[in-house]
Amino acid sequence: MAFSKLYDSAAAAVADIPNGATVLLGGVSGANAPTALVSALADRNVRDLTCVCDSTYYGAEALHRLVAAGCVSRIISPAPFGSGKDDMVHELWRSGDLTVEVVPWGTLAERMRSAGAGIGGVFLPVGIGTRFAEGKEIRVVNGVECMFEPPLRGDFALIRAARADGVGNLVYVGAQRGWNSAVVSAARVAVAEVDQVVEPGSIDPELVITPGIFVNRIVRANSAPIG
Amino acid sequence: MTLARLDAQSVARRASAEVAPGSVVAVSGDWSTAVADLVPAEKGVWFLRAGGTLSDLPISAADAGAVLRGGNVDLSILQAAQVDSNGSFAGYHAADYPGPQGHAGLIDLAGARRVVTVLPHTDADGSPNIVNSLTLPPDGVRCVDTIITDVAVFRVADTGLILTELAPGWSAEDVRTITGAAVTSAPTLREMDFALPPGNPTSKIYADGPSAIADLPDGATVFIDGFGGPGGMAHYLLISLRDRGSRNLTIVSNTAGIARVVSFGTPPGHTAIDHSVLVENGQVAKAIASFPVSPSVSRPSEFELAYRRGEVDLELVPQGTLAERLRAGGAGIEAFYTPTGAGTLIAEGKESRVIDGREYILEHGLRADFALIRAHRADTRGNLVYRGTSRNFNAVMAPGARVTVVEVDEIVQPGELDPEAVVTPGIFVQRIVRRPDGFTGYE
Amino acid sequence: MSADKERLDRAIIAIRVAKELPAGSCVNLGIGIPTLVSMFVDDESVVFYHSESGVLNCGPLAEEGSEDIDLINAGGQFLQPVPGMAYFSSVDAFAMIRGGHVDVTVLGAHQVSATGDLANWMLPERGVGNIGGAMDLAAGADKVIVAMEHNDRNGNPKVVQECDFPLTGRGCVSLIVTDVAVMEPTPDGMVLREAAPGWTPEEVQGVTGARLIIPDSVAEYEV
Repeated sequence: MAFSKLYDSAAAAVADIPNGATVLLGGVSGANAPTALVSALADRNVRDLTCVCDSTYYGAEALHRLVAAGCVSRIISPAPFGSGKDDMVHELWRSGDLTVEVVPWGTLAERMRSAGAGIGGVFLPVGIGTRFAEGKEIRVVNGVECMFEPPLRGDFALIRAARADGVGNLVYVGAQRGWNSAVVSAARVAVAEVDQVVEPGSIDPELVITPGIFVNRIVRANSAPIG
Repeated sequence: MTLARLDAQSVARRASAEVAPGSVVAVSGDWSTAVADLVPAEKGVWFLRAGGTLSDLPISAADAGAVLRGGNVDLSILQAAQVDSNGSFAGYHAADYPGPQGHAGLIDLAGARRVVTVLPHTDADGSPNIVNSLTLPPDGVRCVDTIITDVAVFRVADTGLILTELAPGWSAEDVRTITGAAVTSAPTLREMDFALPPGNPTSKIYADGPSAIADLPDGATVFIDGFGGPGGMAHYLLISLRDRGSRNLTIVSNTAGIARVVSFGTPPGHTAIDHSVLVENGQVAKAIASFPVSPSVSRPSEFELAYRRGEVDLELVPQGTLAERLRAGGAGIEAFYTPTGAGTLIAEGKESRVIDGREYILEHGLRADFALIRAHRADTRGNLVYRGTSRNFNAVMAPGARVTVVEVDEIVQPGELDPEAVVTPGIFVQRIVRRPDGFTGYE
Repeated sequence: MSADKERLDRAIIAIRVAKELPAGSCVNLGIGIPTLVSMFVDDESVVFYHSESGVLNCGPLAEEGSEDIDLINAGGQFLQPVPGMAYFSSVDAFAMIRGGHVDVTVLGAHQVSATGDLANWMLPERGVGNIGGAMDLAAGADKVIVAMEHNDRNGNPKVVQECDFPLTGRGCVSLIVTDVAVMEPTPDGMVLREAAPGWTPEEVQGVTGARLIIPDSVAEYEV
């Protein structure tokens, strides 16, 4: 059988995500979110996931479903809590059922880029003097006070894009690019949920944002309602 | 009598008066993002939002972080909950978000060249938000330059806070009584000025190559793009630099000129202009390159001949490390560990470190005075698109130079390039030159 | 005298290497014999070619007269445009390599040691050389295959116990395919896996600088 990256369903594309996996989410809300993939993962009732995401609120229904189903034991994010006091993530954290790690977003993006680019870690000047420097290796490099930030690698990345061709080249629409394109290279297996799958050659090679080398699986988005 | 305070929109208007034409501004928080709507398009200002947009351009989160750290943001306008007299601040999230570390949304933005905070002068129960020392955890330490509140404007000086402007109807004494830090009134203290800075951004279009590099000095470090062949090489700028004659240059480039001697990437029957024009003119003191000499021993390049005569220095860098050092220089990464070259001559004199059982060596970012790059099209704001494999080092070099000059085939109006197709945002491009009609890049 | 025995030609080396490329893998081919490999990969395998010039899923070389200076491979050869390509910058090209996204690279070499050290960037007598992308490929690709002639033009062995040329990477080579044999460097030394038709293991050892570990069964070179 010829090799193909195209999967029949979201469920099939996430079927082998094991308990304890680190899952990088490209977005959590609206057109930025791989909603079908995250929902399929919640249906599988996996346990002890670490989820890396840009935030956890503003319409993050699929992520909330994953958290509510008890699949997630740890969240790494620049903004892991909503500002509302009835926030589910907040309550689970207070009750000790969820570990939360806060990372400045530029640093988080760079740590994932390091993982995807084979870099062993970077010295960044961000957050010196703040709570985010506590416990870090601090070093003056080129006269600039920096802290060491190690790579952050995922087992799986679940991302959302507008279109894929059969070889996995991806294009996004607008702000969809922001986090989806930043996490895709950092995981062992990257799964892309797309609105449209087109023939190779239908995407101008100048317009490809994520080359297919970073994409292992492709699923057409379904518009199934959440909940 | 209660004095009237400015509403959020008016505070944003006052903040917009800090925004210079053509500048790059990062915004976060409602009081801050409102500024973007108050600055008309002809001011040519770029607004960076953490979600991943740079004005109308979508960018990845990794690139947005790089823009912030890389020294390319002129100004951050940040909504704060608290600011102290040392210029440290806690972001607007600080009081609302639980957890041991709260919210990290403003940490990156605090690294801009200049930081302006906007905030209510007092909180809901009347306690001052401008204090001697923060009671909330800081999101930035000693980084705030200007504080704009709903009653006043302060400059943060080494000696403390200087009151520079007052909201209409307010006196310095009125402000002092609701401020939790010592305040000195500026001799120029006046009523708040809401006017945008005058003028429009200066044009990036230069008439020709020589005028675009007229101030490229002796001793400069110059990024010169190109993979090795004529594709993606700024030949017209190269000839302009030869004619200008700047000397003692350090050139950073993938090759040090091989196309001329081995026809690398060159169609049959042509001889391509390359770095050799600078080397034979005695302008190059040093090359930092991955592929510095001809692949053919019997056809040595100008650079190799000069190297054998002892006239030029060479720093040999693996190609991927070169690309990564260029990116780091433009992305505010002072140093990084790479596995490339561990255990080889390249590792000599460098720190090595075992990470997860693998040996890495420490490499540092590279920056330049000038970058001479080549693209296919530019719009007048400096947004660039390339052609095919000629993107190579061009797109990597643009952010890390003080002055990036691009040579293009065509200059178009803003809006004519699809924002989804822009590879290099205009914030990285200072000067644009069109390659003259009939100029081929071949000798 | 084994040095005079008939050796396989370059195309056969390339055919043998092509068998090492799994379906769906991403492959970077170096200059020389490695470039030939793509001619012998069957269509069903769907191998994706990466070039550090900044193109993925690239196809065959362009025909004479249709050269485009904006579409080249890392060796400066012109490529045909094909469906499914993606263009990217040099920093992304090497992020793909170092980040482990390139599954296999096929490189030429001056020397390979018994434990898989690779030397392919500088001939010591020249005193200066080009690293290009070789060190990144050696460090980053999941599998590094060396495709080369077994001996240099003066007859010196290129498979050696220890490299005396400057290294490109330590312990990075997974497999060596030459015109005489297929060998696998291991921490214990160089294992002979296959010998060219008509060659005995002892004859291969005779033209090899490294001490070969010869298993009970050495297959005939599969082509």
